[in-house]
Amino acid sequence: MSNTAVRLAGITKRFPGVVANDQVDLTVEKGSVHALLGENGAGKTTLMNVLYGLLQPEEGDVYVKGERREFQSPRDAIDAGIGMIHQHFMLVDPMQIWANIVLGQEPRKYFGLAVDEQAAIQQVHDLCERYGFEVDPTETVEDVSVGVQQRVEILKTLYRGADVLILDEPTAVLTPQEVEDLYDVLDELTAQGKTVIFITHKLGEAMHSADDITVLRDGESIATVSVDETNQNELAEMMVGREVLLEVDVPEHEPGETTLAVDDVTVTDGDDIDRVKDVSFEVRAGEVFGIAGVDGNGQSELVEAITGLESPTSGRIVVEGDDITGHSRRQRIDDGMAYIPEDRHERGLVMDFDLVENGLLGSQHAEPYSKNGRIEWDTVRGHAEDIIETYDVRPPNADADAHSLSGGNQQKFIVGREFERDPSVVVATHPTRGVDIGSTEFIHEELLDLRQRDRAVLLISSKLDEVRQLSDRLGVMYEGELVDIVDPDETSEEEIGLLMAGERPDGIESMRTTGGRP
Amino acid sequence: MDRDDLERRLRNAAPEVLPLSVAELRSMSRADARRLATWLTVGVLALVALYGIVFPGSTAGEVFWTAIGQSTIESSLRLAVPIALTAIGGLYAEKSGVINIGLEGLLIISAFAAVVVADVLGGAGSTGFPPVVSFDVGGSTYTIDPGVQLLVPNVWLGIAGGVLASMLLAFLFAVICIRYEGDQIIAGLAVWLVALGLAPFASKVMYGQPSTPQVVRLGEWTVPVLSDIPFVGPILFDANPMVFIMLVSVPVAWYGLNRTSFGYWVQASGENPKALDTVGVNVNRVRYAAVLISGFFAGIGGSALSLGSGGLFNGAGQTMVDGRGFIAIAAYLFGNYNPFGAFAASYLFSGLQALQIRLQGIAPTEVFLMLPYVVVVIVLVLVGRTRLPEAAGEHYESGED
Amino acid sequence: MSRARDVLERLVGASGVERAVISMAALALSIVVGGLIVFVSGLGAACEAGANYHIAIPLPGSVEILLFDGRLSMLGFQSCYDPINVYEKLFIGAIGGLPWESGWQPTNFAMEVFLQRATLLLFTGLSVAVAFRAGLFNIGTQGQMIWGALVSAVTVLFVADFAPAGLAGTAILLPLALVSGAVAGGIWGAIPGALKAYADANEVITTIMLNFVATFGTTLLVSEFFQDPQSAGGTQTRMVPGNSLVPSIPFGFQGTRFSILALVLALVLAFVVYFVLWGTSFGFDVRTSGLQPEAATYAGVNAERTIVRSMTISGALGGIAGALWVLLANGRFLTGTEVPSLGFDGITVSVLAGNNPLGVIFGSILFGVLKSGGNALNFQTDVPPELVSILSGLIILFVAMPEFFRLIGRSMGIGDEQATVATDGGEDDG
Repeated sequence: MSNTAVRLAGITKRFPGVVANDQVDLTVEKGSVHALLGENGAGKTTLMNVLYGLLQPEEGDVYVKGERREFQSPRDAIDAGIGMIHQHFMLVDPMQIWANIVLGQEPRKYFGLAVDEQAAIQQVHDLCERYGFEVDPTETVEDVSVGVQQRVEILKTLYRGADVLILDEPTAVLTPQEVEDLYDVLDELTAQGKTVIFITHKLGEAMHSADDITVLRDGESIATVSVDETNQNELAEMMVGREVLLEVDVPEHEPGETTLAVDDVTVTDGDDIDRVKDVSFEVRAGEVFGIAGVDGNGQSELVEAITGLESPTSGRIVVEGDDITGHSRRQRIDDGMAYIPEDRHERGLVMDFDLVENGLLGSQHAEPYSKNGRIEWDTVRGHAEDIIETYDVRPPNADADAHSLSGGNQQKFIVGREFERDPSVVVATHPTRGVDIGSTEFIHEELLDLRQRDRAVLLISSKLDEVRQLSDRLGVMYEGELVDIVDPDETSEEEIGLLMAGERPDGIESMRTTGGRP
Repeated sequence: MDRDDLERRLRNAAPEVLPLSVAELRSMSRADARRLATWLTVGVLALVALYGIVFPGSTAGEVFWTAIGQSTIESSLRLAVPIALTAIGGLYAEKSGVINIGLEGLLIISAFAAVVVADVLGGAGSTGFPPVVSFDVGGSTYTIDPGVQLLVPNVWLGIAGGVLASMLLAFLFAVICIRYEGDQIIAGLAVWLVALGLAPFASKVMYGQPSTPQVVRLGEWTVPVLSDIPFVGPILFDANPMVFIMLVSVPVAWYGLNRTSFGYWVQASGENPKALDTVGVNVNRVRYAAVLISGFFAGIGGSALSLGSGGLFNGAGQTMVDGRGFIAIAAYLFGNYNPFGAFAASYLFSGLQALQIRLQGIAPTEVFLMLPYVVVVIVLVLVGRTRLPEAAGEHYESGED
Repeated sequence: MSRARDVLERLVGASGVERAVISMAALALSIVVGGLIVFVSGLGAACEAGANYHIAIPLPGSVEILLFDGRLSMLGFQSCYDPINVYEKLFIGAIGGLPWESGWQPTNFAMEVFLQRATLLLFTGLSVAVAFRAGLFNIGTQGQMIWGALVSAVTVLFVADFAPAGLAGTAILLPLALVSGAVAGGIWGAIPGALKAYADANEVITTIMLNFVATFGTTLLVSEFFQDPQSAGGTQTRMVPGNSLVPSIPFGFQGTRFSILALVLALVLAFVVYFVLWGTSFGFDVRTSGLQPEAATYAGVNAERTIVRSMTISGALGGIAGALWVLLANGRFLTGTEVPSLGFDGITVSVLAGNNPLGVIFGSILFGVLKSGGNALNFQTDVPPELVSILSGLIILFVAMPEFFRLIGRSMGIGDEQATVATDGGEDDG
């Protein structure tokens, strides 16, 4: 008898202009954790969306437990015992946990007229007990942590009788400790006979959690290997198709005077909750100051206070000796502050503008692009074309609308626009999020180049390896506080992970120079 | 829950809480704004009441004693019907993610269609169902006579016609927004403007003027015994049947939204359509249903407006609907998408109208005519930060990443 | 055929041209559907027999090639109204007949009405376009126009007593009328703007509510304070003096309903608005806010101020329309309900023009025709002039569903597939 849970044979899925999956094969053993490893854009999620019935392939067959299936919708896949936990949770935030879990298959009462709340809660309780989850079904989703939300997602699939669980980049939003908890959950699931497919672009995770690994690259399946028979370097080579330097080459550079000083800044929201608490640090000319932390621990609010999108409740922002706390966003742009925002689709670019107009974004009131309130379109066009050329934006067409560019090229254009301001301070938030490897390397080089040119760089990223490699000093934020400032070369990933979780391991050497509380 | 407690709870929850997100926090300040709005309204009403009780001879006194008078409450309830029903329907649509700005148009079309259907059937009187059918085959006439007929009053068939017209127009709106990915606001405005042209046009074609003659009015329903209870009796049990329908619709709509599967799906479809899609429920089908529900309720509301009181359709200017569709939107926003809240807000607006009729002497007519619209603006300012469903106004396509 | 398709393909590919094509298609479709409504409503109307259709190609002399002559019926029903005849009356009646027919004067009454409506619609259309470009659904142009009308009438009446007679007076009173109208409309537009900017009050509803307030409020003010003592009973202000009216150039029109000066002002403003939106930093701020408010804040745009400013400009344009309506139409303000619904029609004009100020020029001409043609319908047919309002609504309805036309375009093989976005395989962030 076959021990195969899922088999995909020759799956081809095309999108206009792109072949997302090209003759992909995948075989997943029952009761195993199977990692699907590949870069962003390698076609991992597309493949799993095919398996989950969200997309229909042009070619190829799907077999579940040896039977050939055709999924027209997720409903068919659910009926076949497949469940998927998406990267962005598919939860209805204002609804209670139990209601989210039973959504679409609610137990009914009164001749099917009403939802049987008691029965639903009981069923969720039973599920939690069976798999050892600690979840209170009556809590509202928006009130619980991301870790719990992820468990709710897993419960959702289990409630629907899933035997095969697909997890799409499940660790992206978790603290290192929560990741450990997730591994425990996966162990418990496979112990009870479930099969797990684990989508990731992180080598370490795949090695750590999986039994087997299938590597995808450019929509093709490169190889399937057992964890015991491979190593990180081999996998990395398979992922990118060439040998990659996982380390960034950071040249020696002596920082100068303090350029940006954040002094005791507190940001309070409309409900008197402090999102940023008494944060102090300095960024010197020719220095990259990194801020690590799990998303949502006050980094966004801190950045908004520094860049002028939000005003701090107390504290000061000082640039080159001038107190700019009271300056508007526009003044700060004029002050020489460049800002790569975390959401390029919402903030960084106007998607329906062409690159000429997007190049003007932020400079629309500044000479030489505008004189007496009138825009000098020739100058603006020349500026956009310069950015496109210098930063290798493709296609090299200033008249292309922003939305027609790929994520990497959009980001390169933003980076170019901001760096061309010749800023004294650069605030870069998640500058390589959703960007391909080539563009990532390019953006890293540009950041380091600024550092060589004695600019002050503040780098905020949830990619721990990125901030560790690029930063001269690294601050860690947790719950709005700057827990500590450390030397990234002297501090291990595990130690930083603990700081990110709000714990202070012994033996960490602090690089804090001013203010702040211990 | 008091403030400090809330804050403490949040702080304690925070350890693993990652996105204790900005969105959530804003929704709390919105809650504060809403509380302010509610208390301000209650406060103003209480102030007028108190002043009125203490100084019965003053203007406030006159307003107060008129407002709690039996006849004012009766007419306030009657005037609340179109607004409250439309608000209930509208909140279903918006909860599902489709902002129906075209409610005004649905009211206009149903108010007119109800009158026309009742008129075509012969005004007062009844029509039998099933009808007697006769047809010619090869020179001889055959007649199918069902024998037993159910007699339905034409006025109710008129209301059914109004509901049908409203639902048809709502369906058209839904097709544009859902099937053809149209902008909901623009499509809603179009529905309004089409109805605003169509009803007076058709009225002129049929009756030679933008307003129809009086056709038939819906009589009052009197419940024996109960209607003899002092004060409450005449208000609740000797009333326009549309008032009954409204008073029943409010709890039914609440139950439907908060206790049935469909209600959960409507909420999920407006908050996170993808969550609904990925568990195998067709989001667009839920949205079609919700928009049709808004058409259904607006249809009853519109019919109630024409057949329920005057028995005619007035198509002059902004027609007899006079912005009630938009007031209904303000009502459900003020009511925070809760049918009970929407009803209370509707009653507030209709109460102002009822007072206006009774207090003509105090100030020029126009002052009272303006008042409800001014109050709507004030209410919108107070509840401006109402938390809209996350996906409201957005088109949803399955499988789109 | 394939050549034509090539040309069309290139056209449909470009987004600006695509919008224009969609607008034209929406217009054509509304005319067809409007015709259907006319036909169907003719079924219910009372008349002797169905309309007679006479479709023929006229040749010189009194010869013609007859294509069809008889009654049209649908499923055995005959309609009293002939849509083709109705549209003929509508479009030709709008300019008082065909220009090459004998006896047609360019200064006929219908032309006068058409030009006046087109002029006023140009202002209201621009008003709506500015707001829509800023992402604000200003449905309140009607109310802003009403206030502009009342305030300019009252201001002129007040100042006229001190102003010199003759042309010198015109030089003072006319600009004053326009400015006071603009200020009043601007303030009435700024109110919902401020409410939106600082309290997040939905501008669609507040502007509609404020339309009602404007209607009743202006009527109240006239009857309480500015009532013409000589009036037989109707609520109205006194007549403004003759020298404050817009000089009626070109001469020849019987009335004072149209002046080329007003039209030129409107055209100039269309170009000014276009320049402001696409040629200035402020316009860039407005357009950015309209498309992506978050990106605008990021780019240093003060969101609140931009909302209030855009609404003020939008209201001012509506207010000028009101002032000109007073000066061109009646010479006095009557009541709020007497102001024609040009503010609402401005929405259709702007939507049809893709909210482009230069497109608004064409939209207002088209709508001027429809408005004037509505009068012709009233006089020459039994079809109610409300047909124009239905067409207005239908146009917005169809413009609102671009995807419908794209599907049709695609099924006919015009235009390319949905613009190809280099997908990251659906894994944009990781």
